[in-house]
Amino acid sequence: MTSIIIIAITAIVVLYLGLYKVKGALLPVSVLGLLGAEASLVCGWDKNISYFNEMLVFNNYAIAFSILLIATTILIFLMSGNYFEKISSNVAEYYTILLFALTGGITMVSFQNMTMLFIGIEILSVSMYIMAGIKKNDTSSNEAALKYFLMGSFATGILLFGIALIYGATGSFNLTEIAGKASEQPFLFYTGVIFMLIAMTFKVGAAPFHFWTPDVYQGAPTLVTSYMSTVVKTAGFAAFLRLFGSAFSSVPPIWTVTIAAMVVITLLIGNITAAFQQNVKRMLAYSSISHAGYMLIAILLLGQASPNAILIYSVAYSIASVASFGVIVAVKEHKGSDDLSAFNGLGRTNPVLAFVMTVALCSLGGIPLTAGFFGKFYIFGVAIAANYTWLIAIAVLMAAVGIYYYFKVIIAMYLRDSESGESIQLNGSYQFVLIFCVLVTILLGIAPSLITNIL
Amino acid sequence: MTVTQSLFYFLAFVAIFSSLLVVLAKNPIHSVLYLILTFFTLTGEYILLNAQFVGIVNIIVYAGAIMVLFLFVIMLLNLNVQTEPQKTNLIKFIGIITGGIGLVVLTGSLKASDPSNLVVIQNVDMGLVKNLGKVLFKDFLLPFEIVSILFLSAMVGAVLLARKETK
Repeated sequence: MTSIIIIAITAIVVLYLGLYKVKGALLPVSVLGLLGAEASLVCGWDKNISYFNEMLVFNNYAIAFSILLIATTILIFLMSGNYFEKISSNVAEYYTILLFALTGGITMVSFQNMTMLFIGIEILSVSMYIMAGIKKNDTSSNEAALKYFLMGSFATGILLFGIALIYGATGSFNLTEIAGKASEQPFLFYTGVIFMLIAMTFKVGAAPFHFWTPDVYQGAPTLVTSYMSTVVKTAGFAAFLRLFGSAFSSVPPIWTVTIAAMVVITLLIGNITAAFQQNVKRMLAYSSISHAGYMLIAILLLGQASPNAILIYSVAYSIASVASFGVIVAVKEHKGSDDLSAFNGLGRTNPVLAFVMTVALCSLGGIPLTAGFFGKFYIFGVAIAANYTWLIAIAVLMAAVGIYYYFKVIIAMYLRDSESGESIQLNGSYQFVLIFCVLVTILLGIAPSLITNIL
Repeated sequence: MTVTQSLFYFLAFVAIFSSLLVVLAKNPIHSVLYLILTFFTLTGEYILLNAQFVGIVNIIVYAGAIMVLFLFVIMLLNLNVQTEPQKTNLIKFIGIITGGIGLVVLTGSLKASDPSNLVVIQNVDMGLVKNLGKVLFKDFLLPFEIVSILFLSAMVGAVLLARKETK
């Protein structure tokens, strides 16, 4: 709760700093506020505090995910340097909206009451609709914002319908009370569960509700895309698991077949379509769909190990995504394109950038000695414990397809020749973020026990 | 049949009839006008349930603000039958199937649920403004406050997107 207040106040302060044209102070103040929020979260560890009639409960699950969300935001902010200034002069507003979006994300991971879930999702989504469209003169950015907005509001309507049906069946918005009264009106309750399932899978971008993802991810400014594919997705999955794990786990899981089908479709569509993309940004958009498929496995097989598996996967995926999108931003600014051909010969002209990209892509693909390997390892561990061998077979096969298209970029960087031999100059904080992401990815790949026993 | 019951059936009939016309009307402006009629009948139903606040808000927000916006957009864009995108038969078929399945699921679940203690309103004055205010400022204080972040974000965004670039 303190963290939400700190971030909201930071956002308003940043808005005022923009009003008085204190350009230089925007980034330091935002990062300082975020660090303060991190500190307040760490202080609440193991305390399990609930606020305002159990509207929000900051248990360790909520705190771990909030810390991850804030840390990812700090990394993205540090990369923003002068990225936003190239779009327009309203930099303060961009930071403000991203900070507001973060409060929505923290509300989503710590909710105990359906109203807070709804408000959290809305804050995050509305902020993202706006951020997707900040390039006002770019048609694809406009299209991304409008498409995201129309489809997102439709999904929100379905979510509300689901919440209303569940309230009708149980007479409560509170997760534990819902779990207690779940079997009183089974049919109404199940219909509500399916509606909420549809809305949540839309928000995390799993098939068959994934159609907005590629266009929105490609159309939005790249730094905003990296925010969407990390913070928004992590918050979505954390809320998804919190909802299904606590409120809906007391009844027999009728949704198993539905989610299992979704996992298979998501993995197939995400990975196979990604393999045909020539644009690296669009390829990462499809790969983010496939990652949603892997994370859904942990929700399909709800158990003791699910929260930890989702946390490890989110950490590995967020860090690797920040690094890979960071490299894409740098390449795009230098060469004016984010197609596969723009990466030709990057290994010779910019060895460090190419190395960062290689580590990030290996982590996304799940190669050992990177954090992504343990992300997939723990997710598959959940499935093996529940005897879902066939699902593991499909998932491993699709992971192999994933390695194929991630390596297309790596091959282009190291084995093809580039037209221009100039190297790309990056400022200090940008380099810091990229190196930091690589170090964390490798560190967690060697010593995963640092985070595996947190929850 | 009491007066309340006959009123309920009358309003329900008008609501269903006009919402069907919303979908079936060829002219978008007629569609919107039927939608306004639907909102008014729903407001009547809310008042029959003794939920005056929801009824009034329904009129002010939906029939007032949002419908006017709808009408403006339709008139400004000059939408009519010709500009309406034609859908292929396959899409129509898929739409009918999925919509029909949704209808079956919803009617089935509503029919199967018996009016137990949870569903029936215990306190007839629950929907009054006084009670609503008490609940809103006591039990649901936090959502009420957090919503302000949502509005602030949306306002900042609206100004951001609508403002002309100085460059």
